[in-house]
Amino acid sequence: MEIADTYYSKDEYVETASGNKVSRHTVLCGSQNIVLNGKVIVQSGAIIRGDLANVRAGRYCVISKNSVIRPPYKQFSKGIAFFPMHIGDHVFIGEGAVVSAATIGSFVYIGKNAIIGRRCTLKDCCVIEDGAVLPPETNVSSYMRYTAKGTIEGGQGNPYFVPAAMQDEMVNYTKSFYEHFVRTPAPAS
Amino acid sequence: MESNIKIFPKSVVCEESTLRGDITFSSGCVVHPSATIIAEAGPIIIGENCIVEEYATITHRLQPGASWDVNKILSIGGHNVFEVGCNVEASRIGDKNVFESKCYVGSGVSVSSGCVIGAGIQICMAQQLPENTIVYGQQALQREAIEKQGSQTLQIDFLRKVLPNYHHLRKPNYDPKKARSVV
Repeated sequence: MEIADTYYSKDEYVETASGNKVSRHTVLCGSQNIVLNGKVIVQSGAIIRGDLANVRAGRYCVISKNSVIRPPYKQFSKGIAFFPMHIGDHVFIGEGAVVSAATIGSFVYIGKNAIIGRRCTLKDCCVIEDGAVLPPETNVSSYMRYTAKGTIEGGQGNPYFVPAAMQDEMVNYTKSFYEHFVRTPAPAS
Repeated sequence: MESNIKIFPKSVVCEESTLRGDITFSSGCVVHPSATIIAEAGPIIIGENCIVEEYATITHRLQPGASWDVNKILSIGGHNVFEVGCNVEASRIGDKNVFESKCYVGSGVSVSSGCVIGAGIQICMAQQLPENTIVYGQQALQREAIEKQGSQTLQIDFLRKVLPNYHHLRKPNYDPKKARSVV
């Protein structure tokens, strides 16, 4: 299935040499600690807290509007520590999601307004439904679907919850999202 | 609306936050970038060592027909945490409460002390939450906390060290000691 083109104005987005498209209306704190590995889209209103700890995002990630990427912290007897956050390749993070996971694998789909608690681990090819709330330190294994009701469904070989071709579908989806996220053509004058 | 913001020493208030109206931050508060605090109906006084995270919104909302009243103060106690994206319009807030991500607390709700409002929970009806109430789960069940919440001082210490390295801060402009000496 082909995705419809999404247009952005030239003034709104910055395109880097490695193909990242980053909106100017984002709050990237501590940008020296944020690594975007190329072809990543960061839409307006997104917040990435690089000042708290390092954040790495793989290729072809989509970080949608108003989502917050915030490294997790853990409290020890002597002070607290923020942990670096790793996001794999071809990960889609929906609008308004709050992500405090420790690691996110590749080919992961996170729905709109989902809340990922502190120090969760999301393995490859899992799905988080729209509006789901993950308590802190939750693990979601590969090919599992975390529903908005709060249950974990599916599993490998069970195509009713996560398609068996999740990897290919996410590759196609994020790639075509990137390719159809284009600058508004200049009006012919 | 005129903005009148008082910041006590030792608090860290990022410049990228949206503050409107008459707001007082006691010492040790931490306000992250893009937090929003709006004092529409009257002044807001925030107690010591509160944390207000990104996209958190604290509103002292104007009731229909009412107007700005200097004596109608929204007083927020000490050691409260407002996590990412929460929206709080409560009429009274005590000490040591945690408002988790994306929760909504409507006007007319009175929050006492030691309460935890879970992530994504919406409380709209006017009510009074007794001390140490925890609101949790899909149905927003309420129960009393078995053990006390851990304190957030360690996190505040960390943030107070780190945030000035990366953000422009609003300068503390109110020193209680100096104010007293003037009088």
